Amino acid sequence: MTLFWLSFGFGLVTTSVLAVAAIGLSLQFGITNYVNFAYGDFMALGAYFTYVLNNEVFHLNIWVALALAALLMGGFGVLINRLLLGPFARRFHSTHYVLIVTFGLSLVMLNVIYSIWGADVRFYALPFGVAHHVGPLLLTTNQLIVMGIAVALLVAVHTTLKTTRLGKSMRAMSDNGTLAMTSGIDTKRITTITWFLSGALSGVAGAVLGIGEGNLTPAAGELFLFVIFAAVILGGIGSIYGAMAGAVVVGMSTEISAAFINPAYKLDIAFVVLILTLLIRPNGLIARPGTT
Amino acid sequence: MTYYIFTLVFFLFDYFILAMGLNIQYGSTGILNFAYIGFVAVGAYVTGVAAMPANVTGEHYILGLGLPFPLNTLLGGVAAMGLAGLVALITLRRLRTDYLAIVLISLSLVFYDFCNNDVSLFNGADGLYNVPEPLTRALGLSSNGFIIFFACLTGVVSLLMWLVMSRIMRAPLGRTFRAVRDDHVTAAALGKDTFRMQLKSMLIGSFFAGIGGGLLIQFGGSFNPTAWLPGETFVVFAVLIVGGAGNNMGMFVGALLVETLLVHLPAFLPDIPGHPGLIEYFDLALVGLVLMVMLWFRPQGIVPERVRRTPSFGVSEKPEHEAGRLDRTTALAAALGAVEPAAGAEEGR
Amino acid sequence: MSITDTSNPAAGTTLSAALRCSGLTKAFQGVHAVNGAEFSIPTGQITALIGPNGAGKTTVVNILSGAMKSDSGQIFIGETETTGWPSHRVARHGLLRTFQLSRELGGLTVLENLLTAAPNQAGDSLFNVLTRPGLIRRQERENAQRALELLEVYGLYRHRDTPARELSGGQKKLLEISRAVMGSPSILLLDEPMAGVNPALIDVLGNYILELKRDGVTVLMIEHNLGVVERICDYVIVLAEGRTLATGRLSDLRQNTEVVKAYLGEVMDASAAN
Repeated sequence: MTLFWLSFGFGLVTTSVLAVAAIGLSLQFGITNYVNFAYGDFMALGAYFTYVLNNEVFHLNIWVALALAALLMGGFGVLINRLLLGPFARRFHSTHYVLIVTFGLSLVMLNVIYSIWGADVRFYALPFGVAHHVGPLLLTTNQLIVMGIAVALLVAVHTTLKTTRLGKSMRAMSDNGTLAMTSGIDTKRITTITWFLSGALSGVAGAVLGIGEGNLTPAAGELFLFVIFAAVILGGIGSIYGAMAGAVVVGMSTEISAAFINPAYKLDIAFVVLILTLLIRPNGLIARPGTT
Repeated sequence: MTYYIFTLVFFLFDYFILAMGLNIQYGSTGILNFAYIGFVAVGAYVTGVAAMPANVTGEHYILGLGLPFPLNTLLGGVAAMGLAGLVALITLRRLRTDYLAIVLISLSLVFYDFCNNDVSLFNGADGLYNVPEPLTRALGLSSNGFIIFFACLTGVVSLLMWLVMSRIMRAPLGRTFRAVRDDHVTAAALGKDTFRMQLKSMLIGSFFAGIGGGLLIQFGGSFNPTAWLPGETFVVFAVLIVGGAGNNMGMFVGALLVETLLVHLPAFLPDIPGHPGLIEYFDLALVGLVLMVMLWFRPQGIVPERVRRTPSFGVSEKPEHEAGRLDRTTALAAALGAVEPAAGAEEGR
Repeated sequence: MSITDTSNPAAGTTLSAALRCSGLTKAFQGVHAVNGAEFSIPTGQITALIGPNGAGKTTVVNILSGAMKSDSGQIFIGETETTGWPSHRVARHGLLRTFQLSRELGGLTVLENLLTAAPNQAGDSLFNVLTRPGLIRRQERENAQRALELLEVYGLYRHRDTPARELSGGQKKLLEISRAVMGSPSILLLDEPMAGVNPALIDVLGNYILELKRDGVTVLMIEHNLGVVERICDYVIVLAEGRTLATGRLSDLRQNTEVVKAYLGEVMDASAAN
């Protein structure tokens, strides 16, 4: 078992978290055309909802708690869009306003989380994990489940987008909102569903981030945000498949780099990837048609 | 009591300076600088290490020049400008608004992470402390006396910087910044190098950020990463938006209402037993809420951007009846009454 | 395809070329909007750029003014090659343009819109702002004087202190042209100056353009209305599918060939439909 393979294993876990988060953010961006700077705090809220269901009330099994928290976060996403972001985006022609509002929402959410749960580090009640040998890798049951959840969600999102009417409508709206509306797609309904999905994905991502890291803190989501941005921009902003590819590159490179540099800086590698992408290929690996 | 009041006075003037810097970047030029607090931090740290002697036991940091005020603070301002120039060169030329905001907020997070972890640069998570209080020994000030003195000194500095900023904003340069903000394609078509203009605006604003940061570290004598979490940028945005983007006096009003009354006054309240920090959390959440409410109900702020009228350009106006003297002008004015707005014909190509 | 020799300035005249371009191409996602356009614009004359929708007229103007980079081809302003220059450099070299849909600097007043266009402003330099306030004040006063005179001519004087976003569509059109004139252009590119304009205003605008010619400005204008072209333009460049189809006087082109006749007929229909 070399250090490299150990890092590789961590890389797979980070990639899983990142892929779920990046797809959620990309779905949102595809529909709204602005970036939600509170997304990291959406993740944190999902992580704490999971924590409450897992440790404080009901004492549910972690995976059941995670699923319920994801549903709650889906509803939360819909509410935020209905009551706050949607009205701002419609009212102001310039995206500056809504970007500032998402930034403000981030401040509100972070401090509400601090107010309720405090700054202390918290831990999930996880079932005792057994380590398994998978090829050269050594992974715990929980890590394997995290990866399983990520793969299942990716396949589910892929299938929805490619085969269902809903998915086709979502892709059409993402490509051209006005055109989609004039061609009879119920854009309001699709917007709501998309916010539900992305909210739920952010909740899952937040919880699995906590599981992967072994603990949760209110600011964890916010500090993870730029890693998500790196993955999303590397993949081409708004492109779902690009987000998946970006997550793999960023997730693996941050963790594997930890074998060679001070692990405290491993996430900063994501920033290097982000800057290099913007310098070399600003539209990302997979550029969306029509947005260049 | 004196201590509290002059602490509030200090923060009023310091955030006035900070808000003016962000105002030229965002209010005038439209650059959504979500990394603003990072430039403040650079100014603070560099001022700190410029002011501190070469060796202080228990602290690790670069430089240690032992420079007196105001040289250390100026160095802090210049350092913030330097970072801004670097960032602008990499990002401004190629990025649209939201990409730029993403890169800047990421930069802020990474820079934060780096300063928090790397001990050799600015003493890591502990930050710098025992930063010399400027002129204390020369003037023989008590610690309360220093607070009063430094709050007033910051007031004088902010007045000077306000004069400079007003001149910039009233000059053709300020107008060109606003032209770039309103429509950079048109500004370029009129011969303005929009990249250079944005670069200039970033440099000027970051200098203000650096000076404000330099004053901050000297006032408190210490500065560490908890003082500049990326969310702090948002407080400066709140000052700007509540006050009124594009107007310098608005920055003063915003600093008074948001920074002094909303952020700092409650900080003097005693902690609720068993809930350390709860008041601060509520308070910051409130800042976020106030900003959203303000953006919705009064997006132009309390003191809106001023419209500059003709006489302020040093020319005299003609009386209205004489203005319409030329025949074709009146004919035209009549025709204009019936003019339709340009219909949305094919655009772009 | 070309009916007259396009390498000569405006079909056989001996006037020098203020602006010439050759072999311009530009593709958007594989569609060739401009495909080898080439022409010269005679100095001090008014030239019309006509052609059906999708002929690439606006793209050509965008390329000439530096707002877009062509995929290939060359551009000369006078003897200076300006291929690939950014907008602001082209503008400082004396070529200014207007936009098909007016683009006002909305937060600036009408007067400030014009002042922004004034060339060679000392006050755009931070150093001058901080050290030479007297010079800047004098320049501002002179520029404001000139801007007010222009506003009077263009009938916008009484709106001088109005934020530009509050103007009506026709007023924005006038602002756009007067602002470009404020930039003291030697060449002015007008992208459909008459589009969406009340018929009463068309004659007035036409007179303004003729006046610019009298002042020695070279004008290239995209125009659908052949009546306007006939009245004020000296030469015509016909663009179709991104290529130069013909150049010359409108009367010559009318008589020349059946092809052109049919083609101009189409343009006429289009302008009638507008």
